[in-house]
Amino acid sequence: MSVVFALATPPAKSAICVFRVSGPGCFRGLSKLIKGSKYTIGNFHVKSFFGATGLIDKAGLVVFSGPNSYTGEDSFEVYAHGGLAVMSSFVKAFKGVGFEEAVGGEFTKRAFLNNKISLHEAEAVVDLIDAVDEKEVMLAGRSLFGGLSRDIVELAESIDLLRVRVEAEIDFSDEGNEYFDESLVDDLLIVKNNVVSFINGCVNKKNRFQKNNILLVGPVNSGKSSVFNRLLGFERAIVSDMPGTTRDIISSELFYESNTFSVFDSAGLRNTKDFVEEAGIKNTLNEIKNTDLVVGVFECYKKSVIDEFKNLAEENKFVCIQNKIDVNAKEEDFFDCCVSAKTGEGFDILKEIIVNCFDSKADKKKYNYLVRERHENIFKGVVFSLSSACEGLDQSTSLELVAEDLKNARSGFDELVGKKFSDSLLGDIFKSYCIGK
Amino acid sequence: MYLLTELDFTNKNNKKYIIYILKYINIMNEYDVIVVGGGHAGLEAAYAVDRIGLSCALVTLRKQSIGQMSCNPAIGGLGKSHIVREIDAMGGLMPIATDMSGIQYRTLNTRKGDAVQALRVQCDRKLYKQAAQKIIKKTNIEIIEGEVEDLVVEGKKVKGVVTDKNIVKGKRTILTTGTFLNGRMYTGEEIETGGRSGDLSSIPLSKKLYQLDIPMGRLKTGTPPRIKLSSININLMEEQPGERPTPWMSLNERPKKHQKQLSCFITRTNKTTHEIIKKNTHLSAMYSGNIVGIGPRYCPSIEDKVNRFKNKEGHQIFIEPEGINKDLIYPNGVSTSLPKDIQLEFIQSIRGMRNAIITEYGYAVEYDFIDPRIIKPTLEAKFLQGFYLAGQINGTTGYEEAAAQGLIAGINAANSIKKKDEFILERDEAYIGVLINDLTNHGITEPYRMFTSRAEHRLLLSQNNAEQRLLLKAHNLGLISSKRKEEFLLKEKKYKKFFNSILKKTKTKTFIDNKNKTKHLKENKNLYQLLSRPDVNPNRLYKPKKHEKSLYDRSVVEIKYKGYIEKQLREIKKTKKQNNKKIPTSFDYSSIEGLSNEAKEKLYQYKPRTIGDANIIEGITPAAINLILIYLKKAELLEQNA
Repeated sequence: MSVVFALATPPAKSAICVFRVSGPGCFRGLSKLIKGSKYTIGNFHVKSFFGATGLIDKAGLVVFSGPNSYTGEDSFEVYAHGGLAVMSSFVKAFKGVGFEEAVGGEFTKRAFLNNKISLHEAEAVVDLIDAVDEKEVMLAGRSLFGGLSRDIVELAESIDLLRVRVEAEIDFSDEGNEYFDESLVDDLLIVKNNVVSFINGCVNKKNRFQKNNILLVGPVNSGKSSVFNRLLGFERAIVSDMPGTTRDIISSELFYESNTFSVFDSAGLRNTKDFVEEAGIKNTLNEIKNTDLVVGVFECYKKSVIDEFKNLAEENKFVCIQNKIDVNAKEEDFFDCCVSAKTGEGFDILKEIIVNCFDSKADKKKYNYLVRERHENIFKGVVFSLSSACEGLDQSTSLELVAEDLKNARSGFDELVGKKFSDSLLGDIFKSYCIGK
Repeated sequence: MYLLTELDFTNKNNKKYIIYILKYINIMNEYDVIVVGGGHAGLEAAYAVDRIGLSCALVTLRKQSIGQMSCNPAIGGLGKSHIVREIDAMGGLMPIATDMSGIQYRTLNTRKGDAVQALRVQCDRKLYKQAAQKIIKKTNIEIIEGEVEDLVVEGKKVKGVVTDKNIVKGKRTILTTGTFLNGRMYTGEEIETGGRSGDLSSIPLSKKLYQLDIPMGRLKTGTPPRIKLSSININLMEEQPGERPTPWMSLNERPKKHQKQLSCFITRTNKTTHEIIKKNTHLSAMYSGNIVGIGPRYCPSIEDKVNRFKNKEGHQIFIEPEGINKDLIYPNGVSTSLPKDIQLEFIQSIRGMRNAIITEYGYAVEYDFIDPRIIKPTLEAKFLQGFYLAGQINGTTGYEEAAAQGLIAGINAANSIKKKDEFILERDEAYIGVLINDLTNHGITEPYRMFTSRAEHRLLLSQNNAEQRLLLKAHNLGLISSKRKEEFLLKEKKYKKFFNSILKKTKTKTFIDNKNKTKHLKENKNLYQLLSRPDVNPNRLYKPKKHEKSLYDRSVVEIKYKGYIEKQLREIKKTKKQNNKKIPTSFDYSSIEGLSNEAKEKLYQYKPRTIGDANIIEGITPAAINLILIYLKKAELLEQNA
């Protein structure tokens, strides 16, 4: 078992926050964090915690030795000051010593697996981890989800059909059959677009009721990331790091006047031939579709550039700000707001503007489906794999890598519609093509 | 000693008798391992036992049939050359015999990447057999001719076999009887008993196995008619010459030079052919209802093809030469069990075959197989100790699949005598691992053949990296010499050096991309970084010196797959520990709340041994696996508290 940690208190600004850490070997990590300072098991200590960049916080510490702990493993709890910056620093420091973020129910599961909770409680854990088969929740609850199950099954099957052609070409190329032609690229694009539009019709519970999505865009070097960090009041994301780290979009939550916002920092947009950058830009463009407010960050006024970004935002609300007023002259006539990420000047106004944007936001997007956040991430992973397959075909990469991307894409749907096993895929190949010398 | 045997006998009036025969039987020395069957599984098993240094007897019906290729005369091909190279990395016989008899070499899928490229070798049927026998002759394997009629069973342990002439005692017995178990051959309405044209089938032994109450089933497979080469006009067909320069199957032990290389030819069936077949389909043994066995979906008879794919105007026929100076071809693609006159009629309707002379007619063969779910991953039977099953008897098809099982059975039989650990290859280590894992977990619904798509970790398992995956293991098992190991390590060292000194140190600012355009970079990048880019054309990036060619090729592949492989390895690592968790056979799935009925049914049906096995059952979701894990723990707790 690895060492896992989790924030035991809500990820919001509060007087105190509690982290739990558990797993064999966690004491070694702890020693690094408190620079070898001594402690006794079961007693309350106040210790200085250090991260890579120095002192994080003076915080309370209680150490439990397995099996006499909640999880039955060696573990400890940290009672830190409840600022978001502190939380973020702890998360970073924990990861820095090799701890992993726990998934939901992980602590209880460990406690159960280490015989720490009774059978009666264990039944409750079963409910907790998975009350009903995921598939049943997602697909049997038709009244709740409407056509969701049908849509997902269709998407999965459309990927299966692509795989049949690609795998047949790999395994039966010497049979004298034509399995596909250039139309495969078009078909793949259609499937990808279908998944994308499906995702656009989904909203996860968390986003729907709590978060308002803000995306920062702008030319390269306009200081988006600094604005991002300044807006959040600390460096980068805390517990709500979005999975799917392959995207170049970094997100974090912002708490302001009891509102929760999700802020996304995107890669800079410019005309480029560079392959890697292009991928990042594609992500940004996709992200715009899921956004409620697009904030354009610019260094100085240039109409053509600003208009370009305005167009990208489409029907989304667009706020245009000037950054770096600590070095450049303010151009208040042209911008909604002028700020300096470096000094923090103008950020109060910016935050007000943002809050007002959401209050007056009358035209809410229409969504078809309400899904869990985890599923939404899975769907995004599917799109990523499909995009990679498209690029592969476009770059005439070897077919087995395209096949791998398609397999990965399909596996995203596995837990919802069931795995597609190779034997059943082969069966489809034999049904579709006359194989057999 | 004298042995009393029973024989069922039915006379003309349908009266049944049991005849008791008392006969003198010679008891022979005890061997470490007895291998029954001299096919590809049997040979590889015996050869492995011999290399490990234990005594081995190979019992076969006919000495001259040892190493016979009973289907088409080719080794390798997609998914299969991967297996042969794995056998090669472990010092097996098949790749060596292949190179001693190869008359045409061809790499398939050359336009695709390394992992799915495969070498196919046409062999001279006679030379292959001779090569195999020659290799075996050099070993200490004792060959005993005879028909195995019974097993010597003491308690739950097999201690040898009874042939028609001898009792052969052995600490371990490996059964590799192929299609010989209760084999029946069908041509139209004609039925013959036998496992291969011209050979006997082993009815008494299959009866014995049925008596042991082992779950068995019946499978079928087909063969095409064999045709005189001199009677066909190859000028009317498309020629497919071999690859130049001619590669080798074995990366290790090769003859000085290749055999004379021959071409294959391609022709097609046509409308007339299809009409003849359609008109007479009802006469085919497969359609007459006589055959109950299940045939492979990927190897349909021409009757099946014509009837199932009605819109297809022609089916490809691959003309394989049977050998050098041999007036015979194997028309791959027209296996049939139609009556003889119809076979001749449709064959002669095919382009280039108007005057074809058939020397041996096609037939369907039906045979017994043992449900492989009753064998362990070591290939030892769960119900009888010291008794191993390998090859087509386990429901597979193909020489390569058989040989692979023979190898694993041989290794494990020897290891168990030497009290060493079980030898099991994982799905991410070898196609052989995929094969045996599939067989022992899922059983089969049709003759099992390997395809690259069966291996979920396909990118890890190239035919060109088999040595890197398996050679050291083979050395630990005693299958290969220390000299070969040293040579291998030296090669690896060279590669590493090339990688670190050339790839990481050679830098450039420009490269040529896939579309042959020159691209400029902002700063110098080394070859390693550039090869990681999907748009770089590796052939135009670096001109390797002659001795660097194979090293460079390998690095190009490894770098190209790097990202994907790392992802796969992460997944493997993540699940490995959990996957190894054992599930007791008596585990009560019905008590698991929240588990769908479908999942419960599947779990009861397959009785997975471990969480890993459960994970690869169709219809078992990750959530279901979580539930099983939790209830496993619960069961453990209950036991402790009781």
